[in-house]
Amino acid sequence: MLSWFDTNLVSILNGFAIGSLLFILAVGLSIVFGMMDVLNLAHGALYLVGAYFGYQFAGDTSSWLGFGTALGTAALVGVLAGGVLSSMTEPLARRPHLDQALLTLGVALVVAELLAIFYGNDVLRVRPPPGLNGSMQVFGNTYPTYRLALIGIGVLIAVAVFVVVERTTVGALVRASVADREMVATLGVDNRLVKLAVLGVGSGLAALAGVLGGPIYGAGPGLDERVLILALVVVVIGGLGSIKGAFVGALLIGQVESLGRALVPDLASFVLFGALALVLIVRPRGLFGAPKAAV
Amino acid sequence: MNPRPLRAIPMSRRRMLGLIGAGSVALAGTAACGGSVGGDTGGEGSGDPSGEAGGGPIKVGLVIPQAGIYTPLGVDMQNAWELWLEQNDGMLGGYTVETVIADEGEGPDTGVPAIQGVLQNDQVDVLVGIVNSATALGAADAVTEAQKVLVISNAGAAAITGEASSPYIWRSSFVNAQVVVPMAEYLAGNDIGPVYVMSADYAAGQEVVAGFISAFEAAGGTVAGQVLTPFMTTQDFQPFLSGIQSSGAAATFVFYAGGEAVSFVQQYAEFGLKDTIPLYGSGFLTEGGVLNGQQDAALGVQTSLHYSTEIDNEANAAFVEAYQAAYDALPTCYAVQTWDAANVLNRALAEAADLSGDAISEALGGLGEIEDSPRGPWSFNGQTPEQNFYLREVVEGDSGLINSVVEELGTYAQP
Repeated sequence: MLSWFDTNLVSILNGFAIGSLLFILAVGLSIVFGMMDVLNLAHGALYLVGAYFGYQFAGDTSSWLGFGTALGTAALVGVLAGGVLSSMTEPLARRPHLDQALLTLGVALVVAELLAIFYGNDVLRVRPPPGLNGSMQVFGNTYPTYRLALIGIGVLIAVAVFVVVERTTVGALVRASVADREMVATLGVDNRLVKLAVLGVGSGLAALAGVLGGPIYGAGPGLDERVLILALVVVVIGGLGSIKGAFVGALLIGQVESLGRALVPDLASFVLFGALALVLIVRPRGLFGAPKAAV
Repeated sequence: MNPRPLRAIPMSRRRMLGLIGAGSVALAGTAACGGSVGGDTGGEGSGDPSGEAGGGPIKVGLVIPQAGIYTPLGVDMQNAWELWLEQNDGMLGGYTVETVIADEGEGPDTGVPAIQGVLQNDQVDVLVGIVNSATALGAADAVTEAQKVLVISNAGAAAITGEASSPYIWRSSFVNAQVVVPMAEYLAGNDIGPVYVMSADYAAGQEVVAGFISAFEAAGGTVAGQVLTPFMTTQDFQPFLSGIQSSGAAATFVFYAGGEAVSFVQQYAEFGLKDTIPLYGSGFLTEGGVLNGQQDAALGVQTSLHYSTEIDNEANAAFVEAYQAAYDALPTCYAVQTWDAANVLNRALAEAADLSGDAISEALGGLGEIEDSPRGPWSFNGQTPEQNFYLREVVEGDSGLINSVVEELGTYAQP
């Protein structure tokens, strides 16, 4: 057992790093879909925007200023983009999800294409800030320092999101909107403002994840689709609209993508969707999904 | 809310992308005239060339990826094609060239209709290009039926000039396994020790792995282990890197290209493997734009390929200089392959009796050695190049990373 643990330590550690990144990415998608009922397929494109910001400001040299600028710009642009998306999807609020999906998918395609025109089609690299750009020894294994830091950042953001949603008045409003939007509206709260705020924060987190994921995944065409699928899997496994669900789902998928692939490399393509299928069979609404009526 | 619609969404997105892809091909078809280069169809009066065969115009369909993951290759190919025409007064073998560019996209679903489009709608005389092997194989029947010559300037599947060969389909590039057999024999010959073999899991990767392992074992090498990683969905190679470490391998041999090559090389260094288990690869691992993404992580990586900008011959020096002057970038093997496609067509068209596929094919077959290629001399053997291969190492050049030539690995034909 101990030797098994020793052999797979790097994979387990890596699962946490990937899980952290997935949480930052997926929590926004989960809240927006679960709480606001907006299916935002442009979420992956927002990640990509963040990744390219990472390349823009931290692509050539490793510096805290560059990386910090990238993080700040990405968060700001993400929040603004979330606001735009919110107003764009507003007229479709009463229409089926497919209409929202088409709209946001269209936005995602346009954004991805514009990025490809501007930055070209090569995969670009984002450099971690100084101090985090090397590797260190973890129980005799070499492991990239940045990925260790990413685990910490993921936990910090998870705690922050959890406290805001579960322990503050704003959070209470958001949770109330999830439970019963009409009732919240009758109390005099404008639903659209809540949606605007949530979509803004969710999109900001997605763009932030793009910068944070940059040193691992880089920035390049097609990345938006791949992370969108991962985020959707996390959301479905965790249950819609649940912070706890997104957290557990992200950690689970992180381990599946890392440890799972290391243990059964021949089935690497299947472990992700195998885990998804398994969860859906056992818990059709996801691990922490609220048992509410279908919309 | 039922989770099921959610699962349907990536599917519908993919279908959507397919539709859009098909639409852009249709667009490319209708806008083909707009995409022409050197569209001097007149031909008369404009300095009659060698005179003997032909004169007059020839329509060439350049089928290259203009959208999707292979776009950088398409850019290199188009650059080389246009550079050749520019240096040769827009002529191939005495004919004034009108190029019709069609977008092959990522796969055969867009590529095959694009090829059919230029054959039927534009009535091209010759086809050049094609990155994706599945596209090349999918279009083989249409090309053969139309009796037009196709010079493939990238797609490396063995079957194209193997069991699915056609008298009209030629190749100026390489065969997947041909690129790695020299490396396998080199590694085995140097008693490198057990080698771990890794590749992306798709047709080309499987051909490379099979070709490498059989040549490596035949030359007395031992394989420490092998794994095929999911194609295009692997962003993080760490789970597979652990496998290399625990296998006790003395070296790693991999086949990756494009974005996967960037991630792999970068992570191989980050997880500390590069210093303990040297990395070898098929040349595409460090070819072209990927080096910019890999940066220092690529230093010292050794690969085998039929081209490097550092090959020491006159033709290459002139080619690299002209290409750099025109496009402010170093040429890649994709550029050279298309350059050579123009070169062999130039020679064949000068010999061919007319523009029929049979006449051009016959002329291509009689070409003998192409002595003025930037990659060094090569010749057609079974309609695909028999050519020299080079062991290359990534080093810091004057302006960024380059693939220096360590040694010549000898001449190889399709295995």
